[in-house]
Amino acid sequence: MKIPDEKQDVLLKRAVRGDEQAFLALYQKHQPALYRYALRMTGSPWAGEEIVQEVFLLLIREPQKYEAARGELGAFLFGVARNRVMKYLERTPRELSLDVLNTDGSAWREPQDPLTPMMIAEKRERIEQVREAVLELSAEFREAVVLCELEEMSYEEAAQACACPVGTIRSRLHRGRALLLAKLELLRDAPRRASAGAK
Amino acid sequence: METMTCEEFELRGLDADRADANPVEAAAAAQHAQICARCGGLLESWREVKSDLRLLREATQLDSATARVEMRLKQELRTRREARVPRRTVVIASWALAAAAVLAASVGWVRTKMMTIAPVSVAPFSAQMSGANTNDSNADGSETLLAADYDGGEFTQLPGSLPSEFGQNSILQVRIQRGALERFGLPVDPDQATEWVDVDFLVGEDGQPQAVRLHQDTLLAGMTQ
Repeated sequence: MKIPDEKQDVLLKRAVRGDEQAFLALYQKHQPALYRYALRMTGSPWAGEEIVQEVFLLLIREPQKYEAARGELGAFLFGVARNRVMKYLERTPRELSLDVLNTDGSAWREPQDPLTPMMIAEKRERIEQVREAVLELSAEFREAVVLCELEEMSYEEAAQACACPVGTIRSRLHRGRALLLAKLELLRDAPRRASAGAK
Repeated sequence: METMTCEEFELRGLDADRADANPVEAAAAAQHAQICARCGGLLESWREVKSDLRLLREATQLDSATARVEMRLKQELRTRREARVPRRTVVIASWALAAAAVLAASVGWVRTKMMTIAPVSVAPFSAQMSGANTNDSNADGSETLLAADYDGGEFTQLPGSLPSEFGQNSILQVRIQRGALERFGLPVDPDQATEWVDVDFLVGEDGQPQAVRLHQDTLLAGMTQ
């Protein structure tokens, strides 16, 4: 579908009036990033989809909650998604199932590069280990790692997304990295020199 | 170039590989990692984890919500749009109804007003005959015994005209010489033919006079002469 080159608030106004094309243009622009964030934070494709659905339902039902003067639509949607993610994590703090990630194929894509089955298996295992380690971090450290390392946001962007100072993001990321290193050492049963950082 | 301490390296050294890293700090971190085995090991471990994080990012880079979510949202959008259309129709219909009511009331009021101002009734032509009963509707319109000075508050139907509904007629007030009434088939006393009289003509839809009425003061003046 051709996405019209219009400003997002114009698209939003059209979408609110019931223009399906305008809504889909907005949805397809913002949905992937929101879903990835929700998936990486919750570890559950189902929860990721539910969160994305809730975010866009809010946009349909209460569009007035978005004020263009206060920021971009993307930032608003991310803020809503983040609230939903945090609520989800509060409700289900330690029920993060790692198995669900690979059941429907949506969270895992077979690498396309020409590797031997052995290499593919090893790569897959490493990905699973790092995914597990990320999901075991507490929500605030996980969020810093997800935004700064997986989404590759700058510190300023991450701070804006989390509505906190840049120093807070730096500090959370520092702590998150150290915990991640320690957890991966534990998972791989190969203590390394980095364990000092996780103290 | 300033070198980093181990504490500083732990805080900022791992940022050296980031795209938005400060180049001076990155160089200092790299230099410190070369001379400090512990920090060098930390950097090596982190680079390995970062490589794994990159694998994870690449593996999930193309992930997006399934079509189920899109369908659900489209359904919601359609439901809301369909709900909005009847609501708009109801609003438009309400306004149209109110406008129609106002229009009907206005027309009714105007008609009532006209009826009140000019309570006109047309007496049959035969009613003007001397000594005839005014209710005798069987009289022939060709009668010639007419009195042009008759005025009983009712219109005198002109010979040869057919009565029509009042709502389609209009009243024309004129001041003419009494003799002019002869043209409408009304008998006129030749002695009074030059008198000026005020006359109301009931004019039909076709523009032709159908009935005539002399004003009371004219009538009285005529009678006293």
